[in-house]
Amino acid sequence: METGKFIQQLGKHKGTSNSSALRSNVGCISVTREASPAFFTALKEDYAFDHCSLISAVDNQSGFELVYHFSIIGESGQMLEVHVDLPRDTPTIDSITHLWGGADWHEREAYDLMGIYFIGHPDLKRVLLPDGFAGHPLRKDYVYEIHEEEW
Amino acid sequence: MSRQQVRGNPGMRRGLGSRTSNPTTMMEDPPSGDWLTLRSDQFLKWVDDAVYNIAEQTGIRDVVNRVTRPIFNWALRYSPWPLHFGIMCCALEMGAAGGPDHDSERMGVVYRSSPRQCDILIVNGPVCEKLRPKLKTLYEQMADPKWVIAMGECAIGGGPYWDSYSVVAGADTFIPVDVYIPGCPVRPEALMHGFLTLQKKIREQEPGYFLRR
Repeated sequence: METGKFIQQLGKHKGTSNSSALRSNVGCISVTREASPAFFTALKEDYAFDHCSLISAVDNQSGFELVYHFSIIGESGQMLEVHVDLPRDTPTIDSITHLWGGADWHEREAYDLMGIYFIGHPDLKRVLLPDGFAGHPLRKDYVYEIHEEEW
Repeated sequence: MSRQQVRGNPGMRRGLGSRTSNPTTMMEDPPSGDWLTLRSDQFLKWVDDAVYNIAEQTGIRDVVNRVTRPIFNWALRYSPWPLHFGIMCCALEMGAAGGPDHDSERMGVVYRSSPRQCDILIVNGPVCEKLRPKLKTLYEQMADPKWVIAMGECAIGGGPYWDSYSVVAGADTFIPVDVYIPGCPVRPEALMHGFLTLQKKIREQEPGYFLRR
């Protein structure tokens, strides 16, 4: 399927906006948090995106933004970038671990460093930092007080 | 040789309490019944103490020390085996120092993969909070005598990550460091110089005791 047509088709889903083609086989689309579970299920089952390459979390000060990268492993090599905006006071979203098993550690990392809570994740605990760590260090408002005092 | 210098396991003494100890005996014999009740580690400890006390009291240990010190010191100096443990980019330089160009093996530096067989722990990278207890365990698993080389800025004081939320500011905050090698990353020549510095340190400071305590 051609990327332009494909993106147009995706843009008809509920809750989507800003659908565009970034490059020849890379698409980009924004989804609201409420519509994201149905959208991700459709991506997996109707569009055969079989690989969740990456979940990155962005701190935009006013709120958080999650960027999912999905790809089709095969001839078409189609890739898709999905942006989801989250409010700052409740950074929660439904987990996609039941759809793509590889999203497990990506979500744990986003929880560990950015403090985004994935509802329905089987084992949401820290993956890079030690268990007793306080706070989420990649947030813009995080202050590491110990070193501030030392230096 | 005074009585206070005779070492022994206090627990063992208590176990043999029924027998009055004679200060003139050089070696404490456990009563015949106690031989059977000793565990293997207790038995080894008893043998160790007995041999040490005899050697100490008769002055044999001092005599043997004079002979063994140069030999043991020489052996330790020319076989400092480091642990083959890499953290970050300095580990590549460590590999280069062991390769054919620089060939650290000509100084007896042979990398071993088990901490039980090693004398040197090379900390060659930033130690993060999660690695710190593991590195400490590795250090404690090494047999005495042992030395630590802090290789590169990260191991010396955190390096470029000094204000990080997860990197420990220097290896010497949790293990004793003998040689610091600055550099980012350390060149293989600098690591060789570090090994030579450590050799010098061993030559000056390692007593090389017979029956080490």
